[in-house]
Parts: sequence; structure tokens; C-alpha cells
Amino acid sequence: MKMGHVTELLSAYLDEQVGSGERARITTHLEACESCRAHLESLRKTVALLHTTEPVRAPEGFRARLRERIDAQPRRAPRTFGLPRLPWSWRTAAAALAVVMVGLFTVNLLRAQFPRVALQRARGPEVSVSTPPPPFPGPPAASVDRAARAPEVGAPAPYTPGEPALRRVIRTASVMLEVGDLDQTASRLTRIAEAAGGFIADSSFAQAGSTPEGTFVLRVPAPRFADVLSQVEELGHVQQRRISGQDVTEEYVDLQARIRNLERYEQRLLAFADRAAKVSDLLAIEQELARVRGEIEMLTGRARYLDRQVDLASIQVSAHEQAKASGGFWDFSGTLTKVQMAFLATIRQLLRAAETVVVAVSALVPVVVLAGLAWFVVRRVRVARGI
Amino acid sequence: MSEEADLIARSAGGDLDAYDRLVGLYQDRVYQVAYRITGNREDAWDAAQETFLNAFRSLPRFRGASAFSTWVHRIATNAALDLIRRRPPQPPVSLEDVAVSAGDDPAETATRSELQQRLHRAVTSLPADQRVVVVLRDVQGLSYEEITAVLRIPPGTVRSRLSRGRESLRRQLADLAPAAGV
Repeated sequence: MKMGHVTELLSAYLDEQVGSGERARITTHLEACESCRAHLESLRKTVALLHTTEPVRAPEGFRARLRERIDAQPRRAPRTFGLPRLPWSWRTAAAALAVVMVGLFTVNLLRAQFPRVALQRARGPEVSVSTPPPPFPGPPAASVDRAARAPEVGAPAPYTPGEPALRRVIRTASVMLEVGDLDQTASRLTRIAEAAGGFIADSSFAQAGSTPEGTFVLRVPAPRFADVLSQVEELGHVQQRRISGQDVTEEYVDLQARIRNLERYEQRLLAFADRAAKVSDLLAIEQELARVRGEIEMLTGRARYLDRQVDLASIQVSAHEQAKASGGFWDFSGTLTKVQMAFLATIRQLLRAAETVVVAVSALVPVVVLAGLAWFVVRRVRVARGI
Repeated sequence: MSEEADLIARSAGGDLDAYDRLVGLYQDRVYQVAYRITGNREDAWDAAQETFLNAFRSLPRFRGASAFSTWVHRIATNAALDLIRRRPPQPPVSLEDVAVSAGDDPAETATRSELQQRLHRAVTSLPADQRVVVVLRDVQGLSYEEITAVLRIPPGTVRSRLSRGRESLRRQLADLAPAAGV
């Protein structure tokens, strides 16, 4: 009964892999049990026999063949594949980033230093930061620029007078400009208005403090509105701009209908007047006719006023001269501000770039996930095939 | 062993020459395990090659949590076991028809002693789980702790498998190691 247990333990006993308690029990049992002693002896001999197994050596050419197979493998070992390349690409990325940053800063510094000359070409249809035109009068700026601006101004369809079904929109714009020379600006505005077939409806000057200001109201044919507006904006640095369109189509149509009705009524009254027998009737009819006529005149006047408003868009321009940066050659009072501006601009651009990157990356996430899955599957298949 | 550690590090970095030398240090041990487990030279070659290919691929992930020898033994054992598992099950080798079922080439067989052949066949006849433990312990000479680490099984299991394997071998080889005392 006890014997079975001990037989199980003999192998471990042989290797001295039994606990001290077990060992004591086995030793006691062995002393008593002849058969277990024999068993132990036989087991010891078997193990000794096993130890005599001749060591087998790897066959000739084993290493060489292995080397060939490893060489033939596509180098997919993760570290050999990934790591040696990584530092290089990181360094490149860092260098590229540095170049971009230095470039940005330089550009911004230049821009802050020479606000009037800087990078005219870099300006797209951006309105908020417009540059003054070259200081000679002439066809202002490139037509490409104008074309780019026109749709932004928001003229829906060019207005053609005389088509009643057309939308009737009163277009108004107000622009606040910072200009170099106010007088020159005034004469140029006049020229722009006249060239477009319009006129200056109002102009006023004022000198508050050191910077003279002027306000002009240009009336130009509606179809030239966008065109003229862009020309005006080229006269200086746009600081504020508001464009509005008031749709008066409904009112206009209403006016027309009422005028037509009243005219028909007038015709009928006239017919009555012809046939009137009594003087008192005639007088009453005449009175009514006068009232109707008056109303018609009023409505027509209103319609005509609307017509004019629609036909002639108005552009209000408030211009003031640039605060003259006093001081001459050695004036560096603004330098710090300029550096600061350039610095901030660079940071803003970097943030914007970072935002772009983040957006792009998040747009790529699904693609990356798919690619990762595909890669994983391919790898699995390869591993399963033992490649 | 610092030279070995150096070779391991360089191999992990993809140094093929270093790995070649590392293979030189371990090829016999790995081949031996593969041979004793699979039972024939052809499978042993395959399993051993697989072991070293696999080890090279996995080396970057080898963190040194266990000894390199243990690690390689684990890969080799798994590769060999994998091979027998994939092989269509063979009828258990009985002592009588060993001469027929031994998969070795005749020339090889002729040069090896009768005793060696019997030992080999006896080990090969063991069930795979016992065979592995016996090979690692009594042929390779690993310690119980090492076997525990290689096979990732509890020490008690190592003990019992080894015990059953040895007992079975004792019966098979009874005539060589007479049981009836002295």
C-alpha cells in the first residue's frame, strides 16, 4: 500500500528533488521494503543508461544552410527593419521643421519690417490685409486679382435695367481705408467713379488730431459695383468693410401692381366723366380723379427712387491717412513691436500648421487602421506558413 | 558568458555573423533535442532549422528574462513538438518491430551501436509529453527548474511526467539494467 506511493517518488528522490519530509519517509520505507530498493536500483541504472546516450551533433552544413535561409529572408526582423532607419528619418524631420520655422520667422520679420513692400505676390484674394497700390495712378492692380475678388463681393447676377422680373437689390458698401495721401485718394476716387460711369455723391474732409480723414460716397452703376469696390480697396489698407444688399424686388413689384390698378381706375373715372350728366357728379369724379392721380404720382415717384437706388449702388469710403512714423534713419522705436509681431505670427502659423496636421492625421486614422489590419493579416498568414 | 551576451545583443540588432556564431554555440544542443523528440534525422533537421529561424526573428523580443539557453530550448521543443503534431500519427513503436520502423538511413544505422539504437527507440516510443521531459532531463541534463521554465509547466508536473517516462523506460530496458537487484 505504501509501496505504490514511494515508487512514484523514486524518480524525484533520485534527483534529490523531494522535500525533506518526503525524503525521510522514503528513506524509512526503503530500509523496510526490499522490492522498492530493487526498484530504485533498477531506475538508477536506467537513468545511468540514458546518460550514456551518445551526444548527437548537428549535421554537416547545418549552419551554412541556416545562413542561406536567413539571408534569403525578406529582412522583416523588426529591429533590423525599423530601428536603423528611424534615427535618420527623425533627424531629417527635425531639420525640415527647423528650416520651416526659420523660414516662417524670416518671412514674418520681413513683413513686419516692410509692411508696404512685403510680398505683394503672396497676397491672394485675402481682403483683411490689403496693400496699397504702387504710388502712380494707372490701371489698378492685376485683372486676375479683380476676378478673384469679384465673386467674393457677392454680386449674384449682373443687373440689367428694364427687366422687371429681375431681382432688384440695392447694393451698398462701406469701406474704411488707411491711405498714404488723402488728397491723392480723393482725386483717384473721383476718377474711379467717373470711369465706371458714376459720380461722387458726397465728400467731406476733417482733420482730427494729426491724421486727416475724409468721407466719400460714390454712386456707380450696379453692374460695376464689385469692380469699383475692388479698385477702391486697392487705394489703401482696408481696415473695415461692410457690404449689404437690400432686396426690394417685392416692394417694387407691389408698387408696379398698385400703379397699374390705379391707372385702370383712372381710365374708368375718365370714361365716367365723359358720360356724366350732372355737374355735381362731374365735380365728384374730378375730385376723385385728382386724388387718384396724386397717388399714382407718389407711387411712381417711389418706384423711380427705387430704380435709381438699384441702378446706382453706393459705396461709402472713409479714408484716413496713415499715422506717419516719425523719425528718420535711427528710429528703432517700433523694432520691438515688429519683432514681437513676427514672433507671434510665426507661432500662429505653427499652430495653424499643427491644426492642419492633426486634422489630416485624424482623417487618415481609418486608412491607417485598415492598413494595420491588412498588415496584421498578412503577417499572420506568413507566420502560419512559416515564412 | 559575456561573449555570448555580446553575440546575442549583436544578433538582435541584425548582425548575421554574430548570429552565425551564436548558432555555432547552440546548434548541437538544439539538434539533439529535436532529434530525440522527433525521432529521426530528417525531422530533426527541419525542426532545428525552424528553431534558429524563429529565434532570429524573435531575438529582438528576447528580454533576457530567462537564460538564452532556456529560451532556445523552449523554441526547439516547441518546433519539434509542432513537427510531430503535424505529422500523421504513427502506430506506436513496439519493441518487436523497431527494426522496421526506425526512420534512419541504413548507413547511419549500421555505424551505431545496438545499445544506442535501443535507447533511442525506447525514448522515441514514449508519449510526447513524457518524452520531452526525459530528453530535457536525462539527455540534455537540464535541471528541474530549467525544465519548468522551458515547458512552462508546474514543477509537480515535471516530476510526475519524468517519473512516468523513466518508469516506462525502465520496463523497456529491463534486460539491459536488470531489475532483480545487483
